[in-house]
Amino acid sequence: MDRTDDVLRDFFAVTAPAGLGGRLRAALREEPAALEALIDRFHVEASERGVARLSYGRGRDVASGRGRRHAEQARHELAEYLAGRRTFFTVPVDLAGVGDFQGRVLAEAERIPFGQVTSYSDLARRIGHPRAARAVGNALGANPVPVIVPCHRVIRGDGSWGHYAFGGALKTRLLELERTTPLLIGCTSTRFVCRRGCAHEQRIGENGRVVFASVADAASVGYRACKVCKPRDAAA
Amino acid sequence: MDERTFERLAQEYAGRLYAVAYRMLGNRADAEDAVQRALMKCFAARASYSPRWAVSTWLYRAVANVCIDELRRRKVRGHEESLDDDRIAAGSRGSGTVRGIRASRGGIGGVASTRPASIAHRVDLTRALGAVPREARMLLALHYVNGLGYRELAAIRGITVNTVKSQLARGKAILKQALEAGGHDGSN
Repeated sequence: MDRTDDVLRDFFAVTAPAGLGGRLRAALREEPAALEALIDRFHVEASERGVARLSYGRGRDVASGRGRRHAEQARHELAEYLAGRRTFFTVPVDLAGVGDFQGRVLAEAERIPFGQVTSYSDLARRIGHPRAARAVGNALGANPVPVIVPCHRVIRGDGSWGHYAFGGALKTRLLELERTTPLLIGCTSTRFVCRRGCAHEQRIGENGRVVFASVADAASVGYRACKVCKPRDAAA
Repeated sequence: MDERTFERLAQEYAGRLYAVAYRMLGNRADAEDAVQRALMKCFAARASYSPRWAVSTWLYRAVANVCIDELRRRKVRGHEESLDDDRIAAGSRGSGTVRGIRASRGGIGGVASTRPASIAHRVDLTRALGAVPREARMLLALHYVNGLGYRELAAIRGITVNTVKSQLARGKAILKQALEAGGHDGSN
């Protein structure tokens, strides 16, 4: 024990703000926002190539043959996503019905990482049309598969939400969900790090989970990247 | 674990969890938000709490997980090291639920150290702490706020005791260097 320890102990001693206990007690009594129930409000249309349309409202899934499998997978992954147990979708998307410009916009939107946001003008710049922010907004507004193609991660340059096909309230809830869902989960017994939603990650028990900020951080304390979900790509 | 027991535990640990979160995230609003989220997660999962675990290990792991994930977001947003932002600024509580996404980092709402360590120390250390790798920084915070031993630190972060020792030594060396460079006597 040296003097550095004393200095550091002093430095790390921080007094909690007044009223913290009361605020925490009140927060514990609040009903947690349950997004899971929303799964019944979505209905899926799928072709044999993948999910072609996701709508919000009442209705039955529309799919036949191989499309049915895609619809079931989409519903399953959406339910996990809404429950905060999934950070990426593996179900294929069928964008055959959209035009070239909209296709590029949606492809670029799909690259926005989970939990991040970008602006309409940034997205326009990224697809090589820096003056087409409004057209980008229209293309996103007509996104046939919201949530799975994450157009909710695009907001206005001034930080306000902008339009969302499923309503501003749902956009807020989805962004809040992504803000509070961790992306990289390490398993304390196998010492592998996965993306949340990977089949391996879903087998980790409640008491065996640690969160990492990057794959490099995990590697620095002896964890290896999962070869199935390839977390390095998601958290570059 | 029943609701009342959990509430009592939350009260008992709130201050220490806050201190860890504050030193990891650098401002009062984010620290309080992190403690709240960690406790809510534990509260929701209280049925799966195993008495084989120390309560402290369970709670500290939860707050560490939330803080580390918040640091990941900052890294991607490109302004991770806000820890050197040691200004006294109006740290409004920010009731908007998506405050973090909007990236409105509130300033430090009053740097609150319990004892009058010199401000120069504090500023140097705050800045130096921003240069300590995240995993080592977390271990330092848990170690110095709570006096946790190597074994508990290892259990909290799911790593080996030897890794705890090497990470702590690495982090401490960076802070010690900052103290010495700043002309403060942090040596033996």
